[in-house]
Amino acid sequence: MSGLTDRVPVLEMVGVSKRFDATQALGGVSLALYPGEVHALVGENGAGKSTLIKVMTGVHPADEGAILVGGEQVTLRSSADAQRHGIAAIYQEPTIYPDLNVAENIFMGHRDRGVAVRWRRLYREAEAILARLDVHLDVRTLASGLSVAAQQAVEIAKAMSLDVRVLIMDEPTAALSAHEVAQLFRQVRHLTASGVAVLFISHRLDEVFEIADRVTVLRDGRLISSRPRAEVTPQRAIQDMVGREMSEFFARTEHRPGALVLRVSGIGRAGSFAGVSFEVHKGEVLGLAGLVGAGRTDVALALFGIAPVEAGGVELDGRPVAIRSPREAMRHGIAYLSEDRRQLGLSLPQSLTANITLATLRRYVTRLRLVDTAAEHAVAERFRRRLSIRTPSLDTPVERLSGGNQQKTMLAKWLNAEPTVLILDEPTRGIDVGAKAEVHHIIDELARAGMAIVLISSDLPEVLAMSDRILVMREGRQVGMFGRSEATEEAIITAAMGAA
Amino acid sequence: MSDSPARAKVRPERLRELSLLAVIAVSALVFSRLVDNYLSGSFFNRVTTSMAITAVLAAAQTLVILTRNIDLSVGSIVGVTAYLTGEYLAAHQTTAPLLAVGLAMLIGCALGLLNGTLVAYGRVPAIIVTLGTLAIYRTWLIDHAKARTITADSLPRWLVEFPQGTVVRLGGLDVRVVLAVAVLVIVALQVALGRLRWGRWVYAVGSNPDAARQEGLPVERITLGAFAMCGALSGLAGFMFLARFGTITVAAGQGLELASVAAAVVGGVSILGGSGTLFGALLGALLIDLLEQSLVRVPEVSEFWRDAVLGALILLAIASDLAIGKRLRRLWTSTSRREREASTGG
Amino acid sequence: MADRVLRWRAELLLAAILVAVVAVNLSLSPFYLRTGNFVNMFQLSIEKAIVAVIMTLVIVNGEIDLSVASVMGFTAAVLAALHESGAVPFAVAVVVALLAGAGAGLLHGLFVARMGLPSLVVTIAGLIGFRGAARILTGDRSIGDFPEWFDRLGQEPLVGRFSLAFIVFVVGIVAAGVVLQRTAFGRAVYVIGNNAEVARYSGIGVARVKLVLLTTSGFVAGLAGVLFAARLGSVRGNLAEGFELDIITMVLLGGVSIFGGSGNLVGVALSILIILNLRNGLGLANIQATTQTGIIGALLIASVLVPNLVVRFGRRRRRAAPEPGEVRPIQRPATVDTRRKE
Repeated sequence: MSGLTDRVPVLEMVGVSKRFDATQALGGVSLALYPGEVHALVGENGAGKSTLIKVMTGVHPADEGAILVGGEQVTLRSSADAQRHGIAAIYQEPTIYPDLNVAENIFMGHRDRGVAVRWRRLYREAEAILARLDVHLDVRTLASGLSVAAQQAVEIAKAMSLDVRVLIMDEPTAALSAHEVAQLFRQVRHLTASGVAVLFISHRLDEVFEIADRVTVLRDGRLISSRPRAEVTPQRAIQDMVGREMSEFFARTEHRPGALVLRVSGIGRAGSFAGVSFEVHKGEVLGLAGLVGAGRTDVALALFGIAPVEAGGVELDGRPVAIRSPREAMRHGIAYLSEDRRQLGLSLPQSLTANITLATLRRYVTRLRLVDTAAEHAVAERFRRRLSIRTPSLDTPVERLSGGNQQKTMLAKWLNAEPTVLILDEPTRGIDVGAKAEVHHIIDELARAGMAIVLISSDLPEVLAMSDRILVMREGRQVGMFGRSEATEEAIITAAMGAA
Repeated sequence: MSDSPARAKVRPERLRELSLLAVIAVSALVFSRLVDNYLSGSFFNRVTTSMAITAVLAAAQTLVILTRNIDLSVGSIVGVTAYLTGEYLAAHQTTAPLLAVGLAMLIGCALGLLNGTLVAYGRVPAIIVTLGTLAIYRTWLIDHAKARTITADSLPRWLVEFPQGTVVRLGGLDVRVVLAVAVLVIVALQVALGRLRWGRWVYAVGSNPDAARQEGLPVERITLGAFAMCGALSGLAGFMFLARFGTITVAAGQGLELASVAAAVVGGVSILGGSGTLFGALLGALLIDLLEQSLVRVPEVSEFWRDAVLGALILLAIASDLAIGKRLRRLWTSTSRREREASTGG
Repeated sequence: MADRVLRWRAELLLAAILVAVVAVNLSLSPFYLRTGNFVNMFQLSIEKAIVAVIMTLVIVNGEIDLSVASVMGFTAAVLAALHESGAVPFAVAVVVALLAGAGAGLLHGLFVARMGLPSLVVTIAGLIGFRGAARILTGDRSIGDFPEWFDRLGQEPLVGRFSLAFIVFVVGIVAAGVVLQRTAFGRAVYVIGNNAEVARYSGIGVARVKLVLLTTSGFVAGLAGVLFAARLGSVRGNLAEGFELDIITMVLLGGVSIFGGSGNLVGVALSILIILNLRNGLGLANIQATTQTGIIGALLIASVLVPNLVVRFGRRRRRAAPEPGEVRPIQRPATVDTRRKE
């Protein structure tokens, strides 16, 4: 499946540059996508990947350079133009119509299907396309009832139905479990088998090196390297991305866990999970592994009071507690960093300062019940320095910050609440390698200082590297508890999937 | 890997419609105990006639709400079209009935087009546009009418007798023409929404307007069309209003927008757009009108109590139905989600 | 920096409109700027302005209260009915009426905050229901003959030239402004309006905030209703009917987004001045109240339409101009590590 470079590239960028005000987002980038090839694009946040995608899909016009489709130069003035040339993109969050069914979702964008809808034919064609991708879904299901992985499959089916020539996939695996990633890769291979060129953007290098035929590295808007997969290693790629040598995962410092902080016994919630029991000690990182939908976030939401526990008991510092709201959880010293930082973790239009004090505003209030903005700024500045949050100013709206800095802001918000138990849900999802390492460093520091940490992550290497013990869940139940020495990728995946 | 086995899946909308039917039946039963001669032919005729107008307006409103908008000006459109049509007919007594209906719908459509243009192309939120046009259209009517009232005796005979017209008579129950028209309109629209590409686009635009735009759907035209149709249907309702009341003042139709929104919402049309059926809106209109007419007949309830109790009952209806529906929906999605996850891919 | 300029741009636009309206009024009637007229202009719609203040907070919070005019009528009717029955001393009747307003707001609040129903629909039900209740209490009559002190409070100035209602408005808008901009509660109102889930996940009691706001909305509407009754001297079942249009226009014209999460009381204050001046000027020019309403409706639409069009044409102009081909050095925020450049 590796490319023969004497073929005509289906999409080629030649010397493309793009400037936004003072920032040169892309500088003379030349890239070629060949049919049937998976071309991976890697780079840190701010390297220019999303700008490149926007230029390719016609959202932004290039300032300089040419775009060639099938060898001929084209001008892309809108996403409709790009679509007409057979270029489509799939993003981290699936774009679907929640109230319509799968079949309609697949074919909604088609313009040449006539005035009337022939339902039976629609269903049949939808099933045919899904079959080509080896995906099994009831096409009559409403899209809102599907998992993220299934919704992505629908999007891929949609692209396939439109006979795309180039499919851009931007962080498609961010919300998927290992099992679902494998399914996705199978779908990608079906796509490339039918001649589609896939541009695959991801922060997860292990996945990149599994699926890609060619790896291109961007840094600061420039193309640093573009080599066939066989000629590059993850270390080399990281070096190109960062400009220096760096190991991908931070090694935990050795230390011994302290007293028992949190104990849950047989907790359950109807329809979500049941019979979960574990303990977390001071200074310990408990990893929570499992497939998406296994119930890990549900457990976290139960401990945080959003969807409280219905059965079983929770004890903090030896005393039984009943947590029925986030406020109560916070009062007991539990903090929760949501996996969805944009929708649930941060108030995007508000400033860095406002977000950092969002959960603890009560502390910065003067006698007249007015907010003490000086005290607020002091706190924000302290965290900015401590967590190395890169931002033009303390008043910058957090929606302007990069993913890594947004994540750190969310972390600051909860650290400010001085919790005894910190639950992190996918803390490094969608952030670049540099920021990821910084977050791991912070987690290690916190553990060393005695915080009890629960780490939910679908990034298996991350879980293995950061956790002292690992709890595996499957379909709402607890299926394994591994100590650091006995935890291996195979063991965890086996438990998570229930395969023999 | 094999498919998940085919089950008889009940969509949330069907559940809503069924629960509405249940509530209607229960209400009828309750009232039959409180009111003498409740289950009579004349009452049936009364309700179905008055409900026809509400139903048409509910359908109009539903079209707009499906696209994630709202039209608060329908009451004013009813007033304007009723008045202007009455004025025209008073001056041109020999106008053909169909022409009169067409005139009303045309005026309504034009007013709806203005709404739609401002929303779709001016990008002004619908609630703001229609709050504004609610006032503008009413003001225009007042200025135009100069305090003259249309009176029933100035109108052609056939118009005044129109509400009495019957399609078929079953024992004591008359199926009135007005009701037949309303039901026909709703059935036709329901079929259109279900089978025409345009109809599916309406749902798509309300379900995810950004995705629709990205996929090249003509979002502006779809929205404009929804408002235009809403206006036209409001014009039809205006005609029916004129026929029913005969005497049209400048205050005609005031407040009807509330009933139309209430009927749609009670009927299961989501205020967020993208889901809901016209049949549900029809049931919503039936329930609201039934409650209104029934309350008037309960001897203990004075006429002034009508609105107060109606408001309370609407609240109760949506609250209970939402609570039940939410629970049922959660059950439906969570159990089948696990099944579906297990069966995705091989 | 850019947002601050943008924010003041909205208020500046409103100020410009205000100046234009006053100028037009001046040209139509040379007595316009006499203080007597000025104060009078305010008094005529002061109740609407009072309710607009609380409506601002409700809309910033992402909700809406369409029932306010009906609650005004309802509380006035409660007051009138109690007074007519003579069952309690008038002062007590006033208190009961105010509590009734708060009770109405509490009812809405419970349905919205505890049951999660959309406020649009709940308050529409309230709009219908409480107007009906007002009609029940007053029957078909006009009830008046209130104690002299009450009428005096409503119709005559209390301090200097300013009536009680005016003072209530000024105190109210200042207090609301402080609460919204400078207290933790105000912060919560903004965040919830922007994204209620984020607020919830940050430990903010979303339901409690909504309950407080809607209850206050009912109370303030009740207060406005009582003040209105005092000013009119009598109460009918249709008191304040249709006021919600003006009130919501005052808020939306003031730059408050209907979707919640943004807006402030400075803008609302300016828009109140605009609307009052507009109605006053038009009235002096002998334009009917109903026509004035139509003009206000057009103004409401224009207040959103015009900025939209300006932004759209501005963007189109900018895109047409070609970028000069120079390459500027890349600017990145300061990083901890030194990166080697290619």
